[in-house]
Amino acid sequence: MKLASLLLLGCGALLAAPPIVIQNANVLTITKGSFKGAVVIKDGKIVEAGEKVIIPPGAQVIDAGGQYLMPGIIDCHSHIAADSINEGSVSVSSMVGIEDVLDPTAISIYRALAGGVTTANILHGSANSIGGKCSVIKTRWGKGAQGILFEGAKPGIKFALGENPKRQGNTPNVRIPGAPISLRYPATRMGVEDVIRQAFTEAKQYQKQWKDYEARKASGAAVIPPRRDLKLEPLVEILDGKRLVHAHSYRADEILMLLRVADDFGFKIKTLQHVLEGYKVAKEIAAHGAGASTFSDWWAYKVEAYDAIPYNAAIMVRKGVLVSLNSDDAELMRRLNTEAAKTMKYGGLTEEEALSLITINPAKQLDLDNRIGSIEAGKDADLVLFDKHPLSSFAKVQKVLIDGTVYFDRDTDLSDRNRRQLEKQKLLDKEKQNQPKKQGGPGRRPA
Amino acid sequence: MKTRRLLVALALLAAPLAAEPPSAVAIRNARIITVSGATLDRGSVVLRNGLIESVGASTSIPADAWVVEGEGLTVYPGLIDALSTVGLNTPTPTIQTTGRRGGGPPTGDPAPAGPVSRGPEDRPLNTSYLLAADQITLADRRIESYRNMGFTSAVSFPTRGIFAGQGAVINLSGQRPSAMVIDPSAGLYLTMRPNGFGGGFPNSLMGVIAYIRQIYLDAGQYKEAKAIYAAHPAGNKRPEYDKTLEGVLAATRILLPAQNPKEIHRMLRFATELKQKALLYGLQEGFLATDVLKARNAAVLLNLRWPERARDGDPEAVESMRALEFRDKAPTTAAALAKAGVPFAFYLGGLERASEINAAIRKAMAAGLTEADAIKALTLSAARLFGVDDRLGSIEPGKIANLVVTKGPLFEDRTEMKYVFVDGVKYEPAPAPAAPASEATR
Amino acid sequence: MRRILLAVLAALPLMGAADDTFAIRAATVHPVSGPKLENATLLVVNGTIAEIGNAKLAVPKGTRVIDGKGLHVYPGIIDSSTQVGLSEISSVRETSDVSELGDFKPQLRAAVAINPSSEHIPVIRANGTTTALAVPGGGLIAGQASMMHLDGWTWEDMTVRRDAAMVLNFPTLSASGDRSFADARRNYDQQIRNLSAYLESARRYQKAKAAPVPDFRIDLALDAMLPVLEGKVPLLVGAERERAVRDAIAWADREKLKIVLFNVRRPGKAMTEIKSRNIPVILGPTQELPLEEDDPYDEAFTVPLEFHKAGVKFAFGTFGNQFARNLPYQAATAVAFGLPYEEALKAITINPAEIFGISAITGSVEKGKWADLILTDGDPLEVKTQVKRMFIKGKEVDLDSRHTRLYKKYMARP
Repeated sequence: MKLASLLLLGCGALLAAPPIVIQNANVLTITKGSFKGAVVIKDGKIVEAGEKVIIPPGAQVIDAGGQYLMPGIIDCHSHIAADSINEGSVSVSSMVGIEDVLDPTAISIYRALAGGVTTANILHGSANSIGGKCSVIKTRWGKGAQGILFEGAKPGIKFALGENPKRQGNTPNVRIPGAPISLRYPATRMGVEDVIRQAFTEAKQYQKQWKDYEARKASGAAVIPPRRDLKLEPLVEILDGKRLVHAHSYRADEILMLLRVADDFGFKIKTLQHVLEGYKVAKEIAAHGAGASTFSDWWAYKVEAYDAIPYNAAIMVRKGVLVSLNSDDAELMRRLNTEAAKTMKYGGLTEEEALSLITINPAKQLDLDNRIGSIEAGKDADLVLFDKHPLSSFAKVQKVLIDGTVYFDRDTDLSDRNRRQLEKQKLLDKEKQNQPKKQGGPGRRPA
Repeated sequence: MKTRRLLVALALLAAPLAAEPPSAVAIRNARIITVSGATLDRGSVVLRNGLIESVGASTSIPADAWVVEGEGLTVYPGLIDALSTVGLNTPTPTIQTTGRRGGGPPTGDPAPAGPVSRGPEDRPLNTSYLLAADQITLADRRIESYRNMGFTSAVSFPTRGIFAGQGAVINLSGQRPSAMVIDPSAGLYLTMRPNGFGGGFPNSLMGVIAYIRQIYLDAGQYKEAKAIYAAHPAGNKRPEYDKTLEGVLAATRILLPAQNPKEIHRMLRFATELKQKALLYGLQEGFLATDVLKARNAAVLLNLRWPERARDGDPEAVESMRALEFRDKAPTTAAALAKAGVPFAFYLGGLERASEINAAIRKAMAAGLTEADAIKALTLSAARLFGVDDRLGSIEPGKIANLVVTKGPLFEDRTEMKYVFVDGVKYEPAPAPAAPASEATR
Repeated sequence: MRRILLAVLAALPLMGAADDTFAIRAATVHPVSGPKLENATLLVVNGTIAEIGNAKLAVPKGTRVIDGKGLHVYPGIIDSSTQVGLSEISSVRETSDVSELGDFKPQLRAAVAINPSSEHIPVIRANGTTTALAVPGGGLIAGQASMMHLDGWTWEDMTVRRDAAMVLNFPTLSASGDRSFADARRNYDQQIRNLSAYLESARRYQKAKAAPVPDFRIDLALDAMLPVLEGKVPLLVGAERERAVRDAIAWADREKLKIVLFNVRRPGKAMTEIKSRNIPVILGPTQELPLEEDDPYDEAFTVPLEFHKAGVKFAFGTFGNQFARNLPYQAATAVAFGLPYEEALKAITINPAEIFGISAITGSVEKGKWADLILTDGDPLEVKTQVKRMFIKGKEVDLDSRHTRLYKKYMARP
């Protein structure tokens, strides 16, 4: 019996894709140092990484030619690949979720992939104190909505503090003629706290309501069940530690406020997003155990970003906060490697620390560090090959693998361009040909 | 000139009212496309009391029948527009899924202005209780124009809002609105159109989806609460009457918009989650998703208004490959669905002229759809998808006497519509004007 | 406490007189105008580069000598499009002086609205930018763009060239929203007619002024157009795509005007027209998304390479404030995707100096030019390189900023 199943397993392995070995690479493992060597991939996982590896029989060997191999880049804050981003009508929009509107055909996925991003946290917008649910995706270009979802990723949700959630509480400077003006609570940071406290108070009552119902029902009473509330259920999951909170925040005061609200209700903030004044309260953030996912150098685009400094990431790292760099932008997303390099310039992080900000640290912030974020045996084979050191301004991505499959190859991309152009021209010509001839051109008018 | 045309139109309208229709009509020696069975190259069909009495190669002609000589004519079942607003009291005829860039979701009536909604509890954009059957108006001029093109029935829906309302299968003739209704519960029409700027919840696609999900949860709870309360009123709080949930619970099926593979996957999953029997509508990029449609046993309503290049566009505008492919391949969807065995029916999507409709169907046929499948998609399949195939959609004894009699094959511009029978009442369509009215009068 | 005192002491000599005379020894000098010089000596006298030589170059006795060992000397970087000093917090209207009302306002001068205390100025120069073009926006003729040094007590101190260019936002023809193309075309044609009519009235004014007619009256706006008509000030013409570029060039040909194209992204076939007329170009940011869905993912990154291949002279601008400090990395991205390194460096130094008529005084490390210099510990196009010192007209500039101050303050938080 045992033998039979072993044989079966053997057959399965034979049928599966052959192992891949990427050799002659400068391997930046992030967690286990850097070396010139090889990485062995089997069934979508990294099975070995080292200066000398055993090449499995039948393996497909990729010669990296001395180029740089690093783990797939992780963007902890993105808004690509979704048909809608903001349910801005209400201050608590936890009933909505990105998963419902994923767009696996968005070209931004391919572009991010071509910048080395293999995993992205697709967040709801920031118009609401408590926003919608988010989805973690892998940039598996060509797959459907289910295919790009990061299977098994812990669910998350967006919160937002400061200027954005209070904007609709204030009369806009520019009014659209004819559009109704209806001010939405809150209009201040005090109100933002209130909205969050009210919502969690409600969630606790909801939790109790269901417990009471279950108890009465168990006792045999003919009792009407409470209404299921899709707005409150995610909040109950937060209270139960089953859903990660990613909170958009800028100013030190609001950051501290949220940490205290979470403390009071007994839950954790998984990450503070943007957190541009995080450096002012790094100690408190570290003590709470929240991660910080920030920009490298954005500032001064609004009042709450006026004290933003590019040293933010480095200060927080030095003060013990788990820090990542994010893009929040489909373009910047393609250059997170040089964003990481900025933390070496501003604040003197080491190369390894800098690269951690876009690999293992965001992996931890998404509770996915057992799967991604470094080149280690057992992790997903999500890898990026750069022609130069990824922290150089002159580096560009050559190849990207996700789960051991090549999803981006610059050479293929380049050689494909001509064919795609021709195909398109063919369609254009065909349409022109089929265009019904106009009866009387624009120039021909009756005399 | 104008007055005269109006008079002619009035006279035509009045014709069937003036004379009481004969109890029996027989069309003899015609080619008969039964759709449900074999085509009769030469046969007769007898109509009595608004129903088909008999059909066959050698069916006998009753003595009292008003005989129509069918020599050189073809008889088809009356055509059905499977998703329409014809006959309804709506300000703008809609349900269009024109070829928007990237195949965007179908558009339609703008949402009505109302109080700002603060969540699903306010039941925004929800008129699920609205019945098309109650909204029928004889004043809709399209009833006649549809009939003149061979359409004897339509499945008409209220289309405003997210839960727009319940559709009805109607016949396109009648002296009273109520007499036109064949089935008042054709299904609940849903859109994914959020509130506009400042309109409150939901103002995004994901808000709409979350809202629909919440409504179905609420409806389930409402149903259960009512049942428990009915059995145990004492000690239980009385469930509050909710007409929107009543409407949702009354729906026999729901109609969900899906134009491209992304939306098709999304809506198929959504229908499964809601545990609702659903028809997808739009489907113009369905050619890319026949496998999943087949795998999930989906049935779909396919918009005949194929995407077209904007007439007054920028000549130097750069269009995406996707948009070009969409326009090129959309008409192949019908053949692809037929080949995959996915049940589908056509709807006009706002096409209003016979020449446009013919051109659209011919495009689908040029892309591989057989004529028989094209006819079926406008007759029996439409009836079947709405559960009225025991009454409509083919020429079989016992079915409603909706027929089109032509001189020449359907879908050809030069073919003359000789007669249209609705509920056994004969209409003789006026020949279509040679050119659009606006140009003819110039 | 002691550290602060030391910092103050270190800063003191910079405030003294005649600081703009010094020598840098043992540095690698990258003149941009010529090959790099290892172990070079650079002598600056009264703010001007007096001599560049090897290690043996003698410097006058008593000259302050800066040890440039391990350091690289580059010309100060020039940003060919910013809103520096004109805008502080982009989302707060009250802090923005970029866009004035009206379609034609050539009399407006960016220099006079530059806030020398803007926090952006020290932030931007910390990465090596010594000079930036402040560009007004809004309307058709937006006003005069001013080339500014990023240091000075007043905007007058900072001004390198007040009328570096006259900004023209060339009308764009695009059918968007409900507007049909024919409608858009009509609207566009009208705008072009208005523009030409304005030029015509400027020419009439020019004639009237030259041979004064009895009722001649000064018109500030038309008066400001005279240097443009005389070819002394280039018209900076914004045009992104082929049609706009083509139309703008055809229009400039008709009007016989000297132009610099601005924010060009996709000239298409009009590239040959740009080249044949030797029109210089200010390229938009390279770090952008592709224009169209089907474009190659690196489309924006390779735009500068296309211009280089066509033999067109170009310079880079950042078109804002927030990311103006990333100008060198914008240039580097173009290099990563094929632009020769030397061309990228020129596009942020000597090219803009030439395009805006200030190459006699700045833009390269050459004898006789202002000592607008940066000292770095490496290639300024590399992100991790630090700009160690900066000189503007030979005067050392403080590289601290709001950012470094907050950094120091909060690193020290107990």
